[in-house]
This record gives sequence, C-alpha cells and structure tokens, in this order.
Amino acid sequence: MNRPIVLAASGLTKDFPGVRALDGVSFEVRQGEVHALAGANGAGKSTLMRILSGAERPDAGEILMHGRPVRFRSPHDALRAGVAMMHQELQPFPAMSVAENIAMGREPARGPLGWLDKAAMRRQARDLLKRLEAGIEPDRIMGTLTAAEMQTVEIAKALAWDSRVLIMDEPTSAISSREAEALFRIIGELAGRGVAVVYISHKMDEIFRLAARITVLRDGRRVATRPAAELNPESLIALMVGRELSAPQAGGQPPTGELALEVRELRQAGAFEGVSFSIRRGEILGMAGLMGAGRTAVGCALAGIEPASAGEIRVSGSPVRIRNPRDAIACGIAWVSEDRKGFGIVPRLGVKENITLASLRRFCYGPVIRRREEEQAAAAQAQALSIKTAGLDRPVQTLSGGNQQKVVLARGLLAEPQILILDEPTRGIDVAAKAEIHGLIRRLAGGGRAVLLISSETEELLALSHRILVMRQGRISGELEAQGAAAAQILRLAMPD
Amino acid sequence: MAFPSSPRWTGQAGLILALVALGGALSLATPNFLTVPNLINLVRQISINGILAVGVTLVLLTGGVDLSLGSLVALSGVAAAHLAQAPGAVAFPALLGMATGAACGALSGLVVTRGGVAPFVVTLGMMTVARGLALVLSGGRPVSNLNPQFTRLGGGDVAGIPLPVLVLAAVAVIAHVFLRHLRFGRYIYAVGGNEKAARASGVDVHGVKLFAYTLCGALAGLAGVVLAARITTGQPNAGVGYELDAIAAAVIGGASLAGGAGGIGGTVLGALLMGVINNGLDLLNVSSYYQQIVKGLIIVGAVWLDRGKEK
Amino acid sequence: MKKSCAALAVALVLASCGSRTAPGGAKQMVIGVSLLNLSSEFIVMLNRAMEDKARQLGVRLIVNDAQRSAERQVQQVESFIAQRVDAIILNPCEVEASSPAVDKALAAGIPIVNVNSETRSTPTAFVGSRDEESARLAMDYIARRLNGRGNVVMMHGFMGQAAQLKRDQGAREVLAKYPGLKLLAEQTAEWDRAKAIALMENWLQSHGAAIHAVFAQNDEMAMGAVLALEQARRKDKVIVAGVDAIADALRAVRDGRLDATVFQDAAGQGAGAVETAVKILKKEPYEKQLYLPFQLVTRENVSQYLK
Repeated sequence: MNRPIVLAASGLTKDFPGVRALDGVSFEVRQGEVHALAGANGAGKSTLMRILSGAERPDAGEILMHGRPVRFRSPHDALRAGVAMMHQELQPFPAMSVAENIAMGREPARGPLGWLDKAAMRRQARDLLKRLEAGIEPDRIMGTLTAAEMQTVEIAKALAWDSRVLIMDEPTSAISSREAEALFRIIGELAGRGVAVVYISHKMDEIFRLAARITVLRDGRRVATRPAAELNPESLIALMVGRELSAPQAGGQPPTGELALEVRELRQAGAFEGVSFSIRRGEILGMAGLMGAGRTAVGCALAGIEPASAGEIRVSGSPVRIRNPRDAIACGIAWVSEDRKGFGIVPRLGVKENITLASLRRFCYGPVIRRREEEQAAAAQAQALSIKTAGLDRPVQTLSGGNQQKVVLARGLLAEPQILILDEPTRGIDVAAKAEIHGLIRRLAGGGRAVLLISSETEELLALSHRILVMRQGRISGELEAQGAAAAQILRLAMPD
Repeated sequence: MAFPSSPRWTGQAGLILALVALGGALSLATPNFLTVPNLINLVRQISINGILAVGVTLVLLTGGVDLSLGSLVALSGVAAAHLAQAPGAVAFPALLGMATGAACGALSGLVVTRGGVAPFVVTLGMMTVARGLALVLSGGRPVSNLNPQFTRLGGGDVAGIPLPVLVLAAVAVIAHVFLRHLRFGRYIYAVGGNEKAARASGVDVHGVKLFAYTLCGALAGLAGVVLAARITTGQPNAGVGYELDAIAAAVIGGASLAGGAGGIGGTVLGALLMGVINNGLDLLNVSSYYQQIVKGLIIVGAVWLDRGKEK
Repeated sequence: MKKSCAALAVALVLASCGSRTAPGGAKQMVIGVSLLNLSSEFIVMLNRAMEDKARQLGVRLIVNDAQRSAERQVQQVESFIAQRVDAIILNPCEVEASSPAVDKALAAGIPIVNVNSETRSTPTAFVGSRDEESARLAMDYIARRLNGRGNVVMMHGFMGQAAQLKRDQGAREVLAKYPGLKLLAEQTAEWDRAKAIALMENWLQSHGAAIHAVFAQNDEMAMGAVLALEQARRKDKVIVAGVDAIADALRAVRDGRLDATVFQDAAGQGAGAVETAVKILKKEPYEKQLYLPFQLVTRENVSQYLK
C-alpha cells in the first residue's frame, strides 16, 4: 500500500550551544500510519519532533505538508496546519481547570466579543476523557492532578485539535497499563481514520505492537527506516546503540543480611494506611501498583517530604522519626523522585552543583566549599552514570531529560545512603543507560545497601527485585518472591476488585 | 546569568559593553566626565545604592523581594544619629543602625517563612511600618548635631578613596566570597533555583531565606548609617524609593526576579551603570524631566543587550 | 461579666469622644486641619503653633496629614465636611489640585482658611507669607555680596509645587534687576539634602571655579550644597543661601558654614491661621489676607533665631 505522505522533512539540521542535535535528518510519515521513532537519550528524537510541531525552528532543511512547503513560526501555526504534539515534559496551566487546559487555544466562544462557552468546553472535555477511560472530572484544577493524570489530559488535548498528524512523545511513561490500553485503542482508531501518528517511545513492546514502520535516530542522524515486521527488539536496540547489548540478569539469591529498614503500620491520611514491610541489607524490594495506589506517597513519607501521620520506622533496628528531608538524609535514606522537574534539579545551577547538593557538607572545610574535591566527586559520579554533558559547569537545564534524571540519581547516590528509595528511576531513560543503571542498582545492593524500587515497569521489577510488594488503593495487597513470579500475578494484585 | 561556576565575565559581557560604550560617549560629550575627581564622585554617589543592591541581591536570589529598604535606611539612619550625637561615638551608632536593619529584615523573613505570606506583601508592610517608626523616633524632625568622627564615615576618605566606597567594596567582596565559596551561599542559589529540590536535598529552606532577609536588612541598616553620616543628619524621610533603585541595579546586573540567578559582580556593574547615567546627565545639564526618560531607556537597553547575548 | 464591663467601658469612652463642651457650657469649636506633610520640619513647627494657639483659645483641632497627596487632602476635607466641623484650615499641597477642597468647603458653607501656600480657588481667608519675597531676600543678599556681578546656580524644589514656583519667580525678578548676574545652571534636587549633595558635586565637575553662588530654594538643599562644597574645599569661594531657617541651617549660619537663610515665621502663620478662623466663627472682623513678613538671617542676627 502506498498511502500518500502527509508530513515530510528533509535535511533538517539544528544546533544548540555546544552540540549538534540534528544533522541532515529526513523523515516522512504517511496517512493512517503509526510510525515509531526510536533512539537513545540525546539521539535527537525530541528535537526532531519539536521542529515538526513548530516549537523550534530548524537551522537548515525544509518541511512539506501534503507536498507543500510550510514554515511553522509557532506551535499554534503547526496546530492550525494539522500537526499536534503531545510533549514528554508536561506543560499544563496549573491554576486552570482540566476543561480549560484541554480547550486552550481553541476555546468555544460565541459572538463577536468571544464570550466563552464554558458548558461546551466542559462537555467536550468530558467526551474526550471518557473515550480515554480516564476518571477525571473536567472541573478539577490542573495543578491538583498527579503526573499521570496530567498526561492523560495532555492526550485529550492533542485529540481535541482533530489533527492530521499526531506526535506523541513517551505518552505512556506516567500512566497505568489500563489507561495505556485505552490509548492504544484510540491510536488504532485514529490511524483507521487516516490520522498519521508518530510515536516516540523506549518501550519495545509498545513499539512493536503499534508501529507499521520504525525510524531510528542515533547521535542526531537517521540511521534506518524499516517496516516493523523486519525488526525485532534485539536488532532495534542494536541499531539504536550501534552494538549488541547483553540481556539483563535476573535477580539473584534472596539476601539474608540484617534488617536495614522496618516499617510498621505506616499511615498518611488520604494516601495510605497499614503499610508494613521490611528490607534487609543487600536486598532490592520492588513496589508495584497502579497509578495512585500510594507507592510514591510511601516513598515520600520515608524521605521526609510528606511525613507519615502515624506508624513506626526503624533504621538498622533503631526507631527514628522522619519529619523532614534532613531527618531522612541523616538516617542514611536517599530518595530519587520520579518528578525531576519538581523535586529533582535546580535548573540554573551547574551539573556539578546539582550532584553535590545533598552532600555538600562532605566537601566543606567548615563553611567553605573545597572546590577541587567537589569537582572530583561530581566527575566520578557523572562518569559512573554516563551523564552526557558539554561540561560539569553547564547549567543542568541544558541537559536532555534522561540525563537530568541521571543527575538526580547521582545526587542521591553521592550521599552514600544505606537505604535507597528509587521512584521510577529509569523513566525516560534510553535502553543502554537503563541497563547501566540496573547494573548499578544491583551493585549497590550487592554492596550492602537496601533498595526500595518503585516502578511501573513490570519487567524492571521482575528483573531486579528479590521480592515485590504490590500496593492497591493505599494498602499493601500482596507480596511475591520475584523469582518465578509473573507479570499477570502482579497485575491481579494491583487491580481493584 | 551568573550562576556560581560560570566563567567570571561572560555572563556580564553585554553589561560591560554597555558601560564602556556609555562611558566612551560621555567622555566625548563632555571633558568633565573622564577626570579623576569626577570618577571619584561617581563611585561615591553609587555607594549607598550599591550597598543596598548587594543586600537585595541575596533576597532576590532566594526568589523573594524586599521593598522596605528605603524605609530601613531612614529608620537606621535616625537610630544611629541619636547615638551619634554623643561626642566620639562611631562604632556604637553604626552597630545600632545595622542591628535595627537586621531586626526588621529578620521580622520580614520570619513572616515570609513561618507565616507563608508573599514577600512582596510582607516587605510592603514593613516599608510603611519602618517609615512610621522612623517618624516616631525622630518626632518628624531631622536628628542633627552629629559628631565629626561619625560624619567622617560619610564624607571622609582614605588615601583619596571615599570611605563609603571602601565600605561598598568590602561589602561586595565579602558577599561575593560568601555566595561562591561558602556552603550557605550555594544553598541560597539552590533555594531560589528550585525550592522543592533544595528541600528534598536536605537544605533548611526556611533558615536560608531567613538569613537572606536578615542580612539584607543589616546591609540596609549599614547604608542608612553611611547616608546619615554623609548628609550629617538622621532624616526620617530619607531613602524614599531607594529600594527600586537597588532592585533595578541587581536586575540589570543579571539577577532574576524569579530567583536562582544573579551575582554580586553583576549587581555592582548594574549600580555603576545607573550611576554613570545619573552623573552623565547631570554633567550635560539635561533637564530633570528628560533625565527620567533617558534613564529608563538606557536601563532597558542595557538589559536587552545583556539578555540577548545569553541566547 | 468581665466582657460586658469591658464593652460598656469602651462604649463610654467612645461616647465621650464625641462632643465635648468647653468650660462655660457653650459648645466647643471644632476646626479640621489638613497639613501638607508632617515629615517636614517646617510643617511640624506650623502644627505645633496651631495647637498651642488652639489650646489657648479653647478650640479643638482635628489634624490630618495629607502626606504630600492632593487627592488625600481633598478626601480629608470631604471627611471634615461630613463631620460638620465649624471651620477648616488648609495647608495646600498644590495650587491646582488642592483647589477642589476649597470649593467643597465653601459650597458646604464651612469657612476655610489657607495657610502658608495658595490655591487657585479663593478661600475665606489666607494667612501666610509671600514665597516670592523669601527668594527675593536671598537672591538680593547674594547680589549684594557679589557686588552685582557673578555666576549663580539655583537648586529647585519639587517642580510644580506652589513654593517652588513662587520662589523661582522671586529669584528671577532679582536676576533681571542685576544684568551682571548670570544664572549658570538650574536643576531640581526635590527639597532633598542627599540629592543636593550629588547635584552640587556634579556641578562642580561641570563648572568648577565658575560658580560664585548657590541659591537653594530650601535649607535642606542648601545644607547639601554646603556639604559638597566643604568636601571639595571650595566653600570659601562660594556663597550659599537657603530658605526656611531650620535648626540645622541656623547653626550652620552661626558657624559660618552657611551664608544666609530666610526665616519663615511658621509659628506666626500657624497661630495666625487659628486666630483668623476663630474670628470668622465669632463673626468678628478679620483680615482676608494676612501676610507675615520673611526675615533674612545672616551671621549678624542669627542669635535672635537660635533657641
């Protein structure tokens, strides 16, 4: 079948200070096609999509829409031309309602003055959200939604524009599998109606399930465009990385060291209750569950961000009180959040300063910072995690999303914690780096640390954890030995009855 | 923008360019500009604003603002002047002035951190309260008859360099070292850059903010002492509008009103730029109406140039 | 029990604040006073004189501070009218913008006395001094000291205020009389000592030895000029004259740092305003325009004014 090409780009080049993000890239997508875009972190996927959706302008090259050259001066231009983009980094209006966010830019209005038709906005929002099977009320204030709920709303927003080309950048990174299923169904519908979908993802199963063709970018260049049927996960990874990668090891023997962390009857009003578990030294305890089950809240409670209202916590046998992050750090607990923009990076400080922020005291002589030692420690961490940056002094906001996440992880690790709480540590990180981080997590556990691994990726949990706890609606619904467990069991424990 | 580890001068290249260009233009327009006495006048004239600007930079870095500076200048000036009427008293009046400013700054900081009230509102309130206190303390009349040792602080010099300038230099150097090389200085940048991330990293956010406001108040107190010495009275209605000039100097120098960006070097350059404009326009005998307009245009132009080079 | 006692006490206090009867049984006269700006030393003296005179005559004053805002002044007068005061004394902020206050008072049938500054609208009576006269005295002094030839610089107050306009007028009359006097430069220092220091410093850079005299429209600015000149070690070559005769300036004249200032009889104006208001209310004859003379203060006579 040779369906007409809807959107085509040729020779796109884009430079940022210190790095060439795209180098002569050509790309095209056909009507009704789901075209996956794959590549490692920093390969240029996001940049390419930002250019195609009007958020950036290329330094060279041209874009053709339905065969006619176009120049997008803004995302609004692109939206009106029929290209909609759903971003990886969410950009909502937190003070406005869900309905207002969805309608942004094309609010239904009546009369010459533009009187807003709020009822129509609400109706449209409700319809779109229902199609996505999301239980979100259109009148809720955007800022009160969780990251996952916000992403669902973003999808609704992109759908609202009724575009010819829909670009989705990691759309399932923060939503539950049930919502992801709904999304896939919708993508199928849209493709059936002739909409071209460009799908950027790190998840192999999704790529191969949805895509008709796959384009691979590496280091800013287009390496291949093939029909999905001609590829499999290994060959795809090989194209992305440029070399073969060994498969991740399964979790080893259950450790029998002493108890590093014990939690009893932990409770936080409205988030979770009756949470009890323990982690031994050298053990990786996975935590599974649907979005909103309370896993992040438990992590935050242990990290001191939002202390628990009741319950007992013991570190290495001694009871402790964690009322704020300093208490947690003092107990040797490090926390790496899923929300790197919120709790993670200080955007304008350098990479080095971000990495050392939680353990700055170590590099000080009294109140004075010892620059050289700080530099060395930060450099060591950056290398260990393969953080890609033009320099340790560059502001961390210049790094790609995945590398920013690595910086947050480095910060947590530099504090040399005894207990590590990782909340979605590899979200948005490419396959090669993910394998490195998995290896690192295993090494940390092997070195005697206790790890609480909160993740929505069942393969990750199964591959790394010794045991897996499943949370459901604020309580622990079950515990499994990872060896021999299956994804289906986890899902069953996670789903509400 | 200046963040701690950036190479020293690239962040302010645009500003330096504007300063050099303006200075060049002025020295061509009038022979009186590029003379040693005039340049000495110039730096002396910016000293008080410079001290205030350094102080407010600290607060701006944490993402806050302090509108009470002008009133603190008056209040501490009046307080110091009362003590400076005693013969030979220099240290005590100066310390009292700084302590007054610090106390007010600490109060503002407490309400901002513990009370959770927006800094704009809190310091606006402090602005009027402090002004009222100054009027009460002075009975509405200037406090004069200050001893000559004290007034030397404002009018004297050491080896030809005016004392207010030395005070500004000392303050700027100390603040710069603090921000760049001390742990607490780093925390100030972190709190302003991303408060949640700083808190998650174990930084005592409230403590850092409180410190910034207190220090800013102390520096405002110091500025008030220097001003009182310079005009040889403690005037309850001194300093009106000084906070805006201070914030302008800091912002021109690269401080962001959102927090997390800025530095002492930039702030001093910003104060210098404003001083050059005022000095130049006076030398050229430009009518004060036009002075306002020209000042505004040059300030916007300098910032535009500077930000443009950032991209 | 405690609470209602407290409430009762508060109510009684408030009630007693309402109307007071003067000794003798007749209802006490109430005069509303709106002042330009109580953070000016001159106005503070004006106010004190008014209150002394009011106490002497047994009238009650309600004093408001307009804090240099004509708008607030109009509001204050409206409030006086609503409170049905017997008379109003107005110390105007601005010639034009404070005029509505005068109009409203007259329309409500309440006598209003302007003190110290004028408004475009004509009040029932005016007590003050002719500001032009103060500038004339100072400028004349400068002219005599310079023997009719020399360069003068003038520091203005806030542009547009009545005092600034009048003093400017008076100064220029004298300059016109002496063709040998040249106005080298003029600029506003907004009545502020600190601004005057900077201005004088910059003028010294531009004109240096060409400046022979400085006329500052008020003493605060004159003191600023003196400080700058002393610092530049040029005070002995430049004559400085100001207006107001505030305490600082008088001391400076005595010590030979300031050459001359002009005494504005704040006490006389304040007392005169209250007296005139009372006369109007008692339907006694009064002067529609009472001008108190300015007096030049130099080293010779400064001891009279120092308290």
